[in-house]
Amino acid sequence: MFALVKLIQSLVGALHSEGTPGQLALGIALGSIMGLTPLMNIHNAIVFAAIVLLNVSFAGGMLGWALFVPIGFLLDPLFDWIGHSLLLAPALRGLWTSLYNMPIVPLTNFNNTIVLGSLVFALVLLVPLFLATRWAVARYRVTVGARVRQSKFYRAVTASKAYNVYKMFRP
Amino acid sequence: MSTPAPGSQLPAPRLKIFRWRAIGPLLVLFIILAILWWLFADTIARRETQKVGTQLLGAKVEIQDLHLDLKNGDVTIRGLTIASPHEAFKNLLQADELVAEIDVIPLTEKKLIIDRIAANGLRFGTPRETDGRVAAKSDGKGSGAGIAERVLAETREWASQFQIPILQLATGKISIDSLDPRRLSTLPAAEALGARADSTQKAWQTAYNELQLGPTLDSAAATLEKLKTARATDLATLNEGRQAIERLKRASDRVTALERDVKTGLTGLQRGLAGLDSARRRDYAFARSLLELPSINAPEIGTALFAPVAIKPFERVLYWAQLARRYMPPGLLPRASTGPMRVRRAGENVRFPKEQALPAFLLRSAELSFLIRPTSDQPQRYAGRVTGLSSDPALYGRPMLASASGPQLTAGGMLNHVRGVPVDTAGATVGGIQLPAFDVPGLPIRLDPGAGTAQLGFNLNGETIHARFGLRSSNVKWARDTGAAGQGMTNTTIDDLIWRTVSGISDLELEARLSGQLDRPSLAVRSNLDQAIASRLRAVVGEEVAAAERQVRERVDALVKDKVDPVRAQVNTLQTQANARIAQQRARLDELQKQLEQRLRELTRIRLPGTPSKR
Repeated sequence: MFALVKLIQSLVGALHSEGTPGQLALGIALGSIMGLTPLMNIHNAIVFAAIVLLNVSFAGGMLGWALFVPIGFLLDPLFDWIGHSLLLAPALRGLWTSLYNMPIVPLTNFNNTIVLGSLVFALVLLVPLFLATRWAVARYRVTVGARVRQSKFYRAVTASKAYNVYKMFRP
Repeated sequence: MSTPAPGSQLPAPRLKIFRWRAIGPLLVLFIILAILWWLFADTIARRETQKVGTQLLGAKVEIQDLHLDLKNGDVTIRGLTIASPHEAFKNLLQADELVAEIDVIPLTEKKLIIDRIAANGLRFGTPRETDGRVAAKSDGKGSGAGIAERVLAETREWASQFQIPILQLATGKISIDSLDPRRLSTLPAAEALGARADSTQKAWQTAYNELQLGPTLDSAAATLEKLKTARATDLATLNEGRQAIERLKRASDRVTALERDVKTGLTGLQRGLAGLDSARRRDYAFARSLLELPSINAPEIGTALFAPVAIKPFERVLYWAQLARRYMPPGLLPRASTGPMRVRRAGENVRFPKEQALPAFLLRSAELSFLIRPTSDQPQRYAGRVTGLSSDPALYGRPMLASASGPQLTAGGMLNHVRGVPVDTAGATVGGIQLPAFDVPGLPIRLDPGAGTAQLGFNLNGETIHARFGLRSSNVKWARDTGAAGQGMTNTTIDDLIWRTVSGISDLELEARLSGQLDRPSLAVRSNLDQAIASRLRAVVGEEVAAAERQVRERVDALVKDKVDPVRAQVNTLQTQANARIAQQRARLDELQKQLEQRLRELTRIRLPGTPSKR
């Protein structure tokens, strides 16, 4: 329940933040990588660092992560298939063999079918998701955004402590 | 100071790409994570080792304490327990302490290279309080099953293929009335053979008609008549004679081809007849099984009594050998194995071995020190050694070798997966150990072999298996379960008889041999008890069994006679007729050809003046 409340807070906070639709969309797109791929991997540390260091919406990143975790679970069979096809493709064997026998690279678990499949899927989805989200946020703000801002619901959400924490990382 | 004019454009704010103020908190976060890792590295490594070990072996791996000293490349494990994947409340081994010296640099490539392991205080087969099996609880099917689960399920299925005869005992009146002719395999086989003989006969008749030998023979006979009256200068007739010979030769070739077809067909039909005999033997066995007669053949008795016990060690060794083949496959092709256990789907980890690179896992050398009978007053200390345990034997280039020795133990093994065809060999002789007691299948008797000697030899070369298991004890104890004694009068009599036979025997020598292709090997089990039990049984129930078997054969013969005899006669007649017709036609062809050739020779012979005629 708490997670759901936090998710709503993040969503509302992010939609009405001072950041541009592009910043919010890029945050969600980067967060989707963390949600779609198995969390405990080096690439997610890099993505997390990018969300923190780049001038994108941190709340959007957390929102993207939270939204795409269940989708990641659902799409695991597809990721397995993608990863399997890529890792066992004869044309790519030389590339994988070189990467597998390099320092550090094997620690990324790229040779796991789920990790590679989900990462490739997330990267392919990155740009379309960014564009679609940016368009949707802009439309929201010019249509119903102002009315939501005046609502009691919005005031209740923004009055909570979690919102204050969020404000520390707002873009 | 000037102010911008109203309505003038403000400069666009500079696009900020980096959030510089977040570097501090991010660094702090990473430092906290690093400190946490440093504080809990041992715990994390211990849990991961337990998790990976359990997944690899198909049985719980428990570690009391693990200490990482990466600076010196040392890993110390204390209180290691590995449960048995086959027995619920037994450990495979326990170790007081393992000290491993590892290469740190290859860890950056996610490769574990262990230069040396010293293991102390190993104990085998110790009891445990909880069920430590993991793979055994899975059916080993589906995409989620790990390698250990799959291998265990495969070896279980492999062990279940052996048809172990139960020492069935006759009950009540022996009768063959329940024999249903529809369940006999001879009858459909005879019908099929009869149909085949019919179609073969028709095919041959057609082929024979297509030979069209009549016109050829008639024409050749007419030409011969002409030649008899022809002169040497009558070139047209001579040519006609030569052409006739050519036609005869071609006809002869066609007869030869037909003869070949007939021979092949007859061979097939004869095989069909032999198949009828085999089917009848199977029907005898089937009908005999309906009688529940006691077996009185010594080899069958040995198999019935001890095969379930003898198969177990083979099944277990095969499990480890097959597991080794999956984890240590030959060659350098990419290979997939089950990924790490996690909340999300595990997927598969694909390894990409590369020539002249390090393998993903290598244990160069392990020195083992262990105790047998650790709780006795005089525990026996043993030593062992393992070398070259590698996930990529082709990269390491040498087979894995293992050996152990001590006062009453000699064991050795080699897993050679360096070449394309893997060869796994193991042998062990263990003396003075308490052999486990077991129930004799089909009889209310329990056998406790006591302290004895067990031997195991195992060779798996590619897909060919040769294995031997031997058990020898001179302190055998027999116990009778009177509650589970046979229900019928005859059963009780035979139970008594077997009990009287075996209960006085204190020596047991058991030998089981397995050989052949791995997917369908043959198992032979013999013991020193087989002959004794067989001769006692033969003396008591031999006549009754022989009479019942005669009755069985007569009954089967009567049921199949009406179908089999006509088919047999049909095949024999067909064979005789076909051979006779071909021989007859060939004789005519040969005779005419011979006569034509002789006449042509006579006409074309050049006689020089003064040369005497041969005639």
